[in-house]
Amino acid sequence: MRIVIAEDLLLLRDGLVRLLTDTGHEVVAAVDNADELLDAVERHRPDLSLVDVRLPPGFRDEGLRAALRLRAGGRDTRVLILSQYVERAYAAELLADGRGGVGYLLKDRVTALDDFLDAVDRVAAGGTVMDPEVVRQLFTRNSRRSGVDALTPREREVLGLMAQGMSNSAICAALVLAQVSVEKHITNIFAKLDLPPADDAHRRVRAVLAYLNG
Amino acid sequence: MTTATARSVAYLAAGILAGAAGFAWTVVALVTVALLSVTQLGGPVFLGAAWLTRRLATAERHRAGWVLGRPLDEPYEPTAPGTVRERVAAVARQPATWRDLAWLVASFPVGLVTGVAGTVLAIVPVATALAPAWLWAVPNGNAPWPLRPLLTTTPGRFAFAAIGLLVLPVAAWLVRALARGVASGARALLAPGAHLRLVNEAARLAETRARVVDAQAAELRRIERDLHDGAQARIVAAGMTLALAARKLRAGGPAVSDVDLARSQLDEALAELRRLVRGIHPPILTDRGLHAALAALAADSPLDVSLSGDPDARHPAAVESAAYFVVAEGLANAAKHAEASRCTIVLTPGRGTLTVRLTDDGKGGADLAGSGLDGLRRRVEALDGTLTLTSPPGGPTVLHAELPCAS
Repeated sequence: MRIVIAEDLLLLRDGLVRLLTDTGHEVVAAVDNADELLDAVERHRPDLSLVDVRLPPGFRDEGLRAALRLRAGGRDTRVLILSQYVERAYAAELLADGRGGVGYLLKDRVTALDDFLDAVDRVAAGGTVMDPEVVRQLFTRNSRRSGVDALTPREREVLGLMAQGMSNSAICAALVLAQVSVEKHITNIFAKLDLPPADDAHRRVRAVLAYLNG
Repeated sequence: MTTATARSVAYLAAGILAGAAGFAWTVVALVTVALLSVTQLGGPVFLGAAWLTRRLATAERHRAGWVLGRPLDEPYEPTAPGTVRERVAAVARQPATWRDLAWLVASFPVGLVTGVAGTVLAIVPVATALAPAWLWAVPNGNAPWPLRPLLTTTPGRFAFAAIGLLVLPVAAWLVRALARGVASGARALLAPGAHLRLVNEAARLAETRARVVDAQAAELRRIERDLHDGAQARIVAAGMTLALAARKLRAGGPAVSDVDLARSQLDEALAELRRLVRGIHPPILTDRGLHAALAALAADSPLDVSLSGDPDARHPAAVESAAYFVVAEGLANAAKHAEASRCTIVLTPGRGTLTVRLTDDGKGGADLAGSGLDGLRRRVEALDGTLTLTSPPGGPTVLHAELPCAS
């Protein structure tokens, strides 16, 4: 697919370009600041933008703000945010518009190449990808909430993977379970947490994250 | 009221003697020191004279306390032990030494005039008020009108007494004002002046600076150690794992598991670095400022936390950082030790200050001497701020930080 990269550190930018071209993608532009990112997306209409949260000149959250602007532009821009650290507030902002095609990952995840490429594909296809670390933070925060307490350990595992944006088949593969039992777990979870049942993965992720953020 | 007046009269009257004594001593001291200054005795005599001058000045400070309510503070800087020459220089360098002398000289004319005036002011109305008791014994056939009827007839004497009684409060007020004026003069010369304030401030700053430097050095050592034992060690381990894998590959063997292991070691190193960075300066503080960072802290806390303050206010980085760690520590303590369920954080910007106030509904009994809080206090004091903790048994615990924002 056609990808735009916005990352200010040359080392990482080149690494990402090499990694993506080696795995059969086309990097149409690799820029190092937010303004050029907006231009490049406007010009190339890529299938996906990989954006670092911190970009020059301020090295604050310019990348995230640019991504939110791209998303607010009305067109279906798909953005995968990469960051050295995760902040739940950022995840909430990215998910706020309720559309899919968005992801938020730690830069470390790039080293787990297959998972990273899978995340790239899922976001480009309109799915949602959340870093396990975001989900972990949500869980620690919700450790006292009765709904999550009522879940069995296995159900909590499934909920965690769901929150990261995994599809049923991916959850089956990760937990080595049959499709049927995963579906049963999910039904139970939704019943216990009092969530409206949702079939498509993206709506499901949103429901789960909204619940955990609430 | 009457005691204040009595004290004022006593102060003014005693001022006549004190002024004379002070002046006489000053003259004697100056002449003696001047004459002996060319001999070996000059130094010790100067020091002795200064010692006695200070005693006299301190007596004056106590006397001023009769009027001002409490004795004046001493303005002397401690002199370090040393040779006579050094001590003479140290005493002569202090403005207080010369201000003492200035007061002792000035108090002579001032004490004489105000002492006489105060005494007369005190005696005349009292004597007038008592007129019927003694005026009959004083022959005054030559007094002009209107004094003659007042002084010689009985009703006139009572009218005279009435006038005295009317004048009495006015005279009392005058005496008090006079005494206050003299005592203020004494305060201007004998109380600690700007010089001592600056000396004390410099000493305080030197002390806090030393503490800050220590705290910084300790912090750097901690970071160095964390890097060395944590991330660095893991990266070295990953390097070794990769070297091993390279050897296996050269020999044509499988190396996938080694490479995977190296990758997970690197992941751990990164996680370690992230933890370290969060402890130095949380990224969200840089990105979004104090309010957003505290909101993130509040959201992560298991307690029910409410946060109020201006979301868009930005402060100097050091202030934001200190405020952040105060709240982080306070929330952690409330959750861990106080068994609290609710916590309120209030940020109030003042004139050149930022106030952070953390209140929890826990069981109280917290102590500022605890290691975490003590480090925080040092951090806050480094910014010239204050950190106070009130935590009675049974709660509520209030952690209150005042941080100056020098803009």
